[in-house]
This record gives sequence, C-alpha cells and structure tokens, in this order.
Amino acid sequence: MNNRIMKANDLISRQIGSETVVIKDNGLSIHVLNKTAAYIWELCDGTYGVDGITGKICERFEVDSDQANADVRATVDQLLEIGLLNQLEV
Amino acid sequence: MQIETPEKHDISSLKSSMQVQIGSICCAIKCQDTEALDGLRQRYLDFLTERPADVSIELSGVDQLKADELEEALSETRFIHGENNFRTTSSIISGTYDLARGTIKISGEKNLANPDLPINHLNRLLSLGYYTACKIRYDDKPPAFLVHSCGIIRHGQAMLFAGPSETGKTTVGRLCGNRYGQVINDEMVLVSRLPGDDGRLSVEGVPMLGGLPRRIRTGAPLACIFLLKQSKRTAVRELDRTEAFLRFMRQVITPAYIGQKDKRAVYALIAEFSDAVTGLTPFFELEFKLDRQSLWRAVEETERMLKKRNNKNE
Repeated sequence: MNNRIMKANDLISRQIGSETVVIKDNGLSIHVLNKTAAYIWELCDGTYGVDGITGKICERFEVDSDQANADVRATVDQLLEIGLLNQLEV
Repeated sequence: MQIETPEKHDISSLKSSMQVQIGSICCAIKCQDTEALDGLRQRYLDFLTERPADVSIELSGVDQLKADELEEALSETRFIHGENNFRTTSSIISGTYDLARGTIKISGEKNLANPDLPINHLNRLLSLGYYTACKIRYDDKPPAFLVHSCGIIRHGQAMLFAGPSETGKTTVGRLCGNRYGQVINDEMVLVSRLPGDDGRLSVEGVPMLGGLPRRIRTGAPLACIFLLKQSKRTAVRELDRTEAFLRFMRQVITPAYIGQKDKRAVYALIAEFSDAVTGLTPFFELEFKLDRQSLWRAVEETERMLKKRNNKNE
C-alpha cells in the first residue's frame, strides 16, 4: 500500500489541549487523535504515500526507519478504516 | 451568501403579534389565533419586548390530528427542503421563508405547540428563529449560543448544569428553590463572551420552556459547568479539556438557521464555540443521586476549590 493518501472531505478538526479532535459525518462520529496520529494525519495531503510520510517523520524525529514505517502503516490503516483518510488512485 | 440588511418589523401595534427577546435578538411571533397567541404571551411574559423584530415568524394552525395521531405522524416525519420553503412527508408542517426580509411563515398542526410532547417544538421554533435572526444580523457567527442546561446564579456568578434530557436538569432547578441560588432557566441558556474581556463568558436567561414554570431574563458571568450524570451516589470529578469538549459540544443547540444546507459549517461553529468554552471554563462531571443535601454539598465544595485555585492564580 503506497498509494498517495489524503484526508477525507468534510472533516472538522480542532486542537484541544495536546490532542486533535476530528469531527466526521456532521457530528455523528468524533475521533480523538494523539500527537503522533495527528502528525501523520496532517501529513496526508495527497502528496505522499506511507513511504513518503515515513520519510518525513524520519527527517523530523530520530527514529528507526523500519519501526517508523510499521507505525505509520498501522496508523494509516486505522485512519483509513474509520474514514478520516482516503487513498488516491494512482 | 450575502444577505441584504433586513427591514425592521415594528409590529408592536398589531394585536395578533408579540415580540420575544432572546439575548440581543428580537423575534416577532404573529398568529391570527388570538387564544393561542395569548397562551404564548403568558409563557413568554418575562421576555416580551417592544423592540423592532430582527425576524418575524408567522404561525397558522390546523387541527386535523388527535394527540396520539400526531405523535405517530411525528415519528415518521421527514423534512423535505425546497428553494425558500419546506414541507414534511407527513404533511403536519410546512413553511416558506425569505431571509432577506427576515420572514418565516409556518403552517402546521396546532398540537405541535403542546409543550408536553416528547420534543418541545416551541423551543425548536424559537431556537430556529434565534439563529435565523443571528444569520441576518451577524452573518458569520452568532454572538451567543444556546446551551442545553439548567442555569443557576449563586453569589453573583452563574453555573450551568448541562446534560441531555432525563439527566436531572429540572431536578437540579427544583432542588435549588430560592435557597441555594436563582434558577434562570432549567432547560436552556445563552452563553456568550463578555464584551471587551477575552477571558470570561456570560450566561443569560432565555424564554425557552423547561420543566419549571419560571424563567428569568437576567444574566451573570459563568463560573463553571457541571455535566450531569445520574448515579446512585453524588460525586464531582474535574474533566480534562478533551473530555469536556467532547461532552459539552453535544449540549450546544445546533446553530442552524432556516434553510441552512451547509451542515459542516454548523458543526464547525459548534466545535469552535465548544473549544472556546472549554478553554475558559472549569468543567466537572457531577454524578448525582437526585437529593438536595448531597447535591449542594458537592457544589459548595467545588466552589471552595475554585475560589482557592483562583486566589492562588492571582
């Protein structure tokens, strides 16, 4: 899975304290993202796939790239599942 | 959408109408049924005004369905929106509106005005009138938001007891009586930022109906918000900001004006307002076993704790 990834449409997000709250489906579902998930979600602007996002994270933080890739993949999978991200067709 | 400045509707001279004050907004209600209008006048007595109206709601009623038939019809009713009009699948209500002129005309079953129905349609109508007038007057966002809560003034400050139906708002109001504070409304209040002061919020009474007969047109700075939870014990727990935000935003009355199609904009407003309120106000969960003594003991302990904290911060 290395298609470019983008935030879903019509979401409302707000930074509340150290967490990011994302409101979906006109308030019917609300999700709270921790700092890491929110950072990954913010990077999903349609420019990168999982590998590109991993690269961005490795540029910013001192992390093992394999571990980072696994974490990004797991987070992206979860965000796709709950509808906060869409995969763009190549 | 740019909306023209509305004409002001000075209808105070007409007997078939009245004007109700909700915060900075004035809603005119027109109705040819003088008996029904008198009933409304009695209900909204403390909020009647002679100010020119920002929005005018013209009501006409038909009496075709019995109470049980209406309840059944309501459960199956879906709204169908057209260009400047709406109707329902069950034909129990329909209307037209002209935002530029600030007029709403609604025709429906008379029994919809019965405040004892499971959903209070009069409150819905006034909320819609309020937010429609806000759209006309302020365009971008309302200066104050309606919050589903019982508002009580104690020692010159307001505290809100917020929560969905059946969590005890009216009970808190009843247990307050005149001894523990002044209940301004046991169902809904307006919350706004105090002008010229970026760190404080204020609470104001509104005419919307609750379970208690009296509603008061007064206000006070907001001290704190309790989110109610019925329980077999009474206990207070301070909420972190995220939990407060997630629970409080469910208690903000949807700030949608008539004919509004952009639901995302509505939820963005709720989120922005809830963010501001949770950033400025202490929030507590109040588990509550519906008895007077433990309720006010818990409230007093919370007040003492807040006072101590404020003194320390100063």
